[in-house]
Amino acid sequence: MMQSKLVFKKPEVKPALSKQSYFIDKYDVILDRAKCTACGICAQTCPEYIGSASIEYEAFKKPEGVLRITNMSNHCLSLDCQRCVEVCPTGALTVRINPQYLILGDRRWTADLILSTWEQAETGKPSGRYEFRIGDSGGGFDRIRFDFELKEEVNLNEAFETEDLDTSIVLNKRRDRRPEIIIPIPVYGADMSFGSISLRVMIARAIAAKAWGTFTSTGEGGYPKELMPFKDNVITQVATGHFGVSAETIKRARIVCLKYAQGAKPGLGGHLLADKVTPEVAEIREVVPNISLFSPFPFHNVYSVEDHYRHVQLIKDVNPKALVSVKVSTPIDVDMVAIGSYYAGANILQIDGGFGGTGAAPDIAKKNIAMPVEYAIPIVHNYLVREGVRDEIVLMASGGIRTAFDVAKIIALGADGAVIGTSELVALGCKRCGNCERGRGCPSGIATTDPALNLLIEPEWGAQRIINMYYSWKKQLDYILSKLGLKSIRELRPEGVVKFKSGQFNHLVHLDHVGDSFERV
Amino acid sequence: MKAGDTESSVAFERYHVNVGEAPWKTRLPKKFRVRIYNNCVNIQECVQACVYNVHRVSEEGKLSEPVEELCRGCHRCTLSCPKGAICVELNPEFQRLGDSYFTPERIENIFFEAETGRIPVSGAGYGGVFAGRGFDGFWFDFSEIVRPTRDGIHGREHISTMVDLGSKPCMLVFRDSRLVSEPPRLVEIPVPMVLDAPLSSSSDRNLSLALAKAVSMLGTFSIIKAEDYFDDLSPYGFNLMPRVNPDRVIEFPWLIESSRIVELDYKEEMPAEEEIKANLRHVRKLNPSAIVCARFSNLNGAVENAEIAVKAGVEVIHIHVDDSIVKHNPDAIVSTIRKVHSHLVEKHMRNEVSIISSGGVAEAAHVPKSIILGADAVAVGLAYQIALGCKVCYSDKHQEDCPMRIEDTDVSLASQRIVNLISSWRDQLLEVLGGMGLREVRRLRGELGRAIFYRELEEKVFGDSE
Repeated sequence: MMQSKLVFKKPEVKPALSKQSYFIDKYDVILDRAKCTACGICAQTCPEYIGSASIEYEAFKKPEGVLRITNMSNHCLSLDCQRCVEVCPTGALTVRINPQYLILGDRRWTADLILSTWEQAETGKPSGRYEFRIGDSGGGFDRIRFDFELKEEVNLNEAFETEDLDTSIVLNKRRDRRPEIIIPIPVYGADMSFGSISLRVMIARAIAAKAWGTFTSTGEGGYPKELMPFKDNVITQVATGHFGVSAETIKRARIVCLKYAQGAKPGLGGHLLADKVTPEVAEIREVVPNISLFSPFPFHNVYSVEDHYRHVQLIKDVNPKALVSVKVSTPIDVDMVAIGSYYAGANILQIDGGFGGTGAAPDIAKKNIAMPVEYAIPIVHNYLVREGVRDEIVLMASGGIRTAFDVAKIIALGADGAVIGTSELVALGCKRCGNCERGRGCPSGIATTDPALNLLIEPEWGAQRIINMYYSWKKQLDYILSKLGLKSIRELRPEGVVKFKSGQFNHLVHLDHVGDSFERV
Repeated sequence: MKAGDTESSVAFERYHVNVGEAPWKTRLPKKFRVRIYNNCVNIQECVQACVYNVHRVSEEGKLSEPVEELCRGCHRCTLSCPKGAICVELNPEFQRLGDSYFTPERIENIFFEAETGRIPVSGAGYGGVFAGRGFDGFWFDFSEIVRPTRDGIHGREHISTMVDLGSKPCMLVFRDSRLVSEPPRLVEIPVPMVLDAPLSSSSDRNLSLALAKAVSMLGTFSIIKAEDYFDDLSPYGFNLMPRVNPDRVIEFPWLIESSRIVELDYKEEMPAEEEIKANLRHVRKLNPSAIVCARFSNLNGAVENAEIAVKAGVEVIHIHVDDSIVKHNPDAIVSTIRKVHSHLVEKHMRNEVSIISSGGVAEAAHVPKSIILGADAVAVGLAYQIALGCKVCYSDKHQEDCPMRIEDTDVSLASQRIVNLISSWRDQLLEVLGGMGLREVRRLRGELGRAIFYRELEEKVFGDSE
């Protein structure tokens, strides 16, 4: 196949520091003021100059009490260090694991992943202080490694000096006279609607998408006019509620996404609880404010593959230049769905795994319905290969892809690229507290339509953070490719079927399946 | 039917449960602790930052004690404080709730469901472990594009959650063009859930009353130990399923006469077929129309036990695995139901008996999961007790300091909480059935093809075999 090349200038990394006054760090130094004499020995001993804060607090002349003396500018290095504790003549110091670090995040998005994503958003590079590749869910991506990772430590400096390699992918392989859109990084932004997230966040994502030459999506909640300047980088979604969908919005987009299901709540349709349906949201969705909105499920005009074909063709007729992306989740027969979508004429097939994000979903659905994307992608890929159509359709993975390493792993498992939602929000400051759906919405001003809260995100600042994160991801992808001796990310995607042998395939190692003889370092 | 002949016609009534707010007298410990260190210089950024109104200013203009009950762990106050004075931690008391199986999070959800009757909904994607053992070892399938889904929850389509308990003959027998086989004796329950008897035998009477009230509102059954029966329960007899020691059937004639289903408690092991038959004769002599359920909890011999029971003529089997066993071996209940169901299918006996399963049912998803493995209905045990304050001690002796003590005045509140819990679980069952495109829960029974097993997928995708 002809390899399309792309001339593209990477956006620059500019620091986009947190606007927060404080930071949640791994370790915490506690000072008992009653014992402290403010001698400053700890500050001299500490390689990070932690104790200096205690001298600063001297100004307040607090008679007694307990102080936390780690601050924004210095990080306590390790529980093992204990140098400050040892040198303190009065025994006033304690070093502990920060209790707040322990409640940050969850098993999939560990505190380390959140903190490292914040770092990448701020500086365009992980510091290495926190794990930035995997979470702690005990399966899937978190048990898969690239073989080089097991042989040596990742050297971040080396990683970020790697020359630029080709990480671009083509979004149309059908040769159907529709444009062959190329994006320079193998990721684009996931569908998140106005209402579930704020307009300012949508704009931030759109600016970042434009800077990276990739896409973001409106989700199912109308196409706000503020996104018009970015229309070449905006995917619009047609979902079951048809909120704010019109021929006009479909004509405007270069890619139209038909959403059949969402990984977090497949088979259930969308939820937007009444609190978040503000007058602005209601207007663009053409509904009454302050009532809960439930997208019905499924598309009641699509009950068969033939209907599905007509549905795709309908979009193609309305916009003869658009690519059609079909977003489905992962039932047990996801391979059948995939081949059906191929014959229906989809250009892009987006497989949304069961661990995908959501603004609101019943807990029973999030945990229990549909399979993770790590299984679905190889199953679909293999099926399409065997049917001989793999190279005519673009397979995008979403739902639980958190890091650059996840992206590379899913490509090595058979996807062409990935669709990123939660990571972009974490870059903006999301802490995965799971309160998006209630009351005024997100306390960090991301997944909210509250007039005061949404001001917390400035579009340009937010965009820079997403740009920085993708810069870091791009460098990590380059590094992975160079370690594997590949020139292009397209070479990472397997040509033939995915078939693991002793837990190994295509540079991937699944730690739960390697034999005892496997050498680990 | 002639016009005007309405006597025998039954008006269609959609199943409806009245849920209502039912705050319990004891609260769960608050989830978070908010500590303000002495770094605080009273600039009150946190007051501005918190959207849940945890941080407040007192009348003297000082920061007052944080209202920890309202905290939702969003970290915003910590990040807003320029002095880093605020630390939000998980409350150790909350962490100590329950155990490794009935986790604090599960208990928190049960409390929410019992209090409001609503479905727990939250934002952000799933954050737990990839997969686990037991009920966590498989996912539901759902419908996509073809096989249309059903909208059961928002009221546009009716999904039935009714199941039958009893024996369904696989054929009718006619002789001289007259039906000679006995018509099936079935009991319908509108939700595939019954309430199991509480663990402790001398439990307080108010709990039994609350259970009886709840099941009469729900239209299902509450299992009650025969020796715990007392006269105040008689108005609810229609919805009680007495559990009797098989050798003591004749001691409770009035109870067996008035019950639609009688449960014989065989504890560990089913006896020989003849002995079961003798027990059945005793019951049927007292009440010829009663459906007989046999309960046993032998895990290793579950398949053989079930087969003997069916051969002896038992119409419902209740497979019980102690919660304390499931806690250590979550696969126990899953594999037992699966084995028994598929064995009875192979022996062409499955429709001669209904299966009730119990043990390890800790969240709404476990009901459809038990059914997909092959159960007809689930006996909910510890979960409703947790809704009433049970501390999950697994003791069958009633503890003196057991917090699950129901005063006279609490009976209706307690029954409302149970109703709320079951109703919320039913609604979640509807979500699952709707997602699968099933119109009734009976279709879900034993539909292993609509379950996605973690181990099988793991082997298929990452294992060596094809």
